[in-house]
Amino acid sequence: MSPVLRFLIRRIGFFALTFVVFTLVIFTLPRAIPGNPLSTLLSQLFQQAQANPELIRAVYKRLMDEFGVGKPLHEQFLLFISRTLKGDLGTSIAFYPRKVADIVFAYLPWSLGLLIPAVLTSWIIGNMLGALAGYKRTTALDNAMLPAFLTLSQTPYYWLAMIFLYIFAVNLGWLPIGGAYSSGRIPKLTLDFIVDMLRHYVLPYLSILLSSMGGWAIGMRSMVIYELGSDYVDYADSLGLSDSKILRYVFKNSMLPQVTGLALNFGSILGGSLITELVFNYPGTGFLLFRAISTLDYPLIQGVFMLLISTLLLANLIVDFVYAYIDPRIRTGYIGE
Amino acid sequence: MIPPILKNLLRIKKFDISVSIILFITLVGIIGPFVYTVDPTALHAPPEVPPNNKYPLGTDSYGRDLLAQLLHGIRSSLYIGLTASLISLAIGVTIGAVAGFKGGITDDSLMLVTNVVYALPSIMLMMLIAAYLKERNPLFVALIIGLTSWPWVARAVRSQLMSLKSRDFLAISRMAALSDLKIMFEDLIPNMASYIFMAFVLLMSGAMIAEAGLSMIGLGVTRGVSLGIILYWAQLLESVRRGLWWWFIPPGACLVSLATSMLLLSTSLDEYFSPRLRGR
Repeated sequence: MSPVLRFLIRRIGFFALTFVVFTLVIFTLPRAIPGNPLSTLLSQLFQQAQANPELIRAVYKRLMDEFGVGKPLHEQFLLFISRTLKGDLGTSIAFYPRKVADIVFAYLPWSLGLLIPAVLTSWIIGNMLGALAGYKRTTALDNAMLPAFLTLSQTPYYWLAMIFLYIFAVNLGWLPIGGAYSSGRIPKLTLDFIVDMLRHYVLPYLSILLSSMGGWAIGMRSMVIYELGSDYVDYADSLGLSDSKILRYVFKNSMLPQVTGLALNFGSILGGSLITELVFNYPGTGFLLFRAISTLDYPLIQGVFMLLISTLLLANLIVDFVYAYIDPRIRTGYIGE
Repeated sequence: MIPPILKNLLRIKKFDISVSIILFITLVGIIGPFVYTVDPTALHAPPEVPPNNKYPLGTDSYGRDLLAQLLHGIRSSLYIGLTASLISLAIGVTIGAVAGFKGGITDDSLMLVTNVVYALPSIMLMMLIAAYLKERNPLFVALIIGLTSWPWVARAVRSQLMSLKSRDFLAISRMAALSDLKIMFEDLIPNMASYIFMAFVLLMSGAMIAEAGLSMIGLGVTRGVSLGIILYWAQLLESVRRGLWWWFIPPGACLVSLATSMLLLSTSLDEYFSPRLRGR
């Protein structure tokens, strides 16, 4: 078996295991926490039963079926897993009788459309700026850039979002104050609508871009500084290689850990961008999650996390494929991990 | 009188700046509520007053004093950050140390668990657990954060230990037939003390930011104030769109200055303890 294939099979196995562990967590939590809010929710449903008996009875029956109440635990878990794998994430309470999967899929594209371009551009720009700062270390440029990177990397996306919203939308009125498009418009593919959508896109995009950029830049900067002190750079230098050629080697070697970093940080960036959506009333999964939490819609909360984690593990797997392709050590079977 | 290590550290500018900011905000959080004795939850003041002499940081839409909220908020955010980071540190160092020290199947299985938890973003695990707790006091929130944030520490401690294990002094301790525990606590942990302290600082800033994130999505402490809870109310009651800048700017600024100073502190310690980075 080729080393690349072996590497990929191991990674796929690892993500499958991670996914099973996560489903186990989602399955266990509502059953393990004593006096959990689910029972509160059920008792609330009973109290409201007088007002709308038909609906409540339906919701109650659904909940009982979906949680498999009364069956032994391992049967409940098997039921849960088989339903999940079929794509059935249960029925929402707040949006009854809509299916959780349908609701989440309606919101997910907005989140991904915001997240993916922001993450990729911030990764590219951050790495380039970091490499520049590392190369120009101990100069005025680095001295100005480093504190900025440090501060940005510790700024919550949503707080930067609040400040941007306050300055550019509320005070200066240059950009809209929220939403993904002007209210009253119907999404369609006209130039007019796209321009309107982009105007709503600018601020959330910039908030995520800027505040996630700092971390990449810091990582790249220290990586470049580390590489510049290594033996092969001294050797290349003594051979009389040009600075730009040496820098190319250094950049290539420093990029590898950053690719791994992209996979590892995807989750926390996603978490931050979910909250950023709230600030802008952006109709993504963060917005949906907030609604689900405030209405105690547990099937919906579970469904949102199930989909987000699946997306995330998939993204990690894609990064691993890229990694296997670009890291010569994996190609030659030099390392297994 | 001053230990030499501290004397050397004080010569580093980054160290001085970051420690001063951290100490200042911490003291404000600890002493502040005793000096400025306004109740942060009282609804007495007129609503939405901008900062003035009577209300130094203004008031919110319910007529709560925002300076009082900020002081109590800093205090409880620091408490949550400290507790959570100590929990993560204990779990992370134990798992990392045992895995790195024992090796073999112990190492493999512990690292598999660590990597699985590491692959799941901690902020999402936190949200998921917090969603099932009806009452969330600061200790619960700290526990949730602490129990989900340790994997990177375990990995880092393990790799540090691996490199320490090949050193000669360890072979000598082994020849002297010292017990595993003794070697761990007398040879290995002291050698990693600076490293563990850096991890602690980073865990703490991470925990405070995580607290704010949890609060923003509606899963923060259910009673009382924290920096995140102030931001949550500011967000919920549309402070930004209504131009109430004094509501959302100060708590965020406190959080960012604290977290940035902690990151700066850990970088300065890193430069001090690994001379290879110094002067580069």
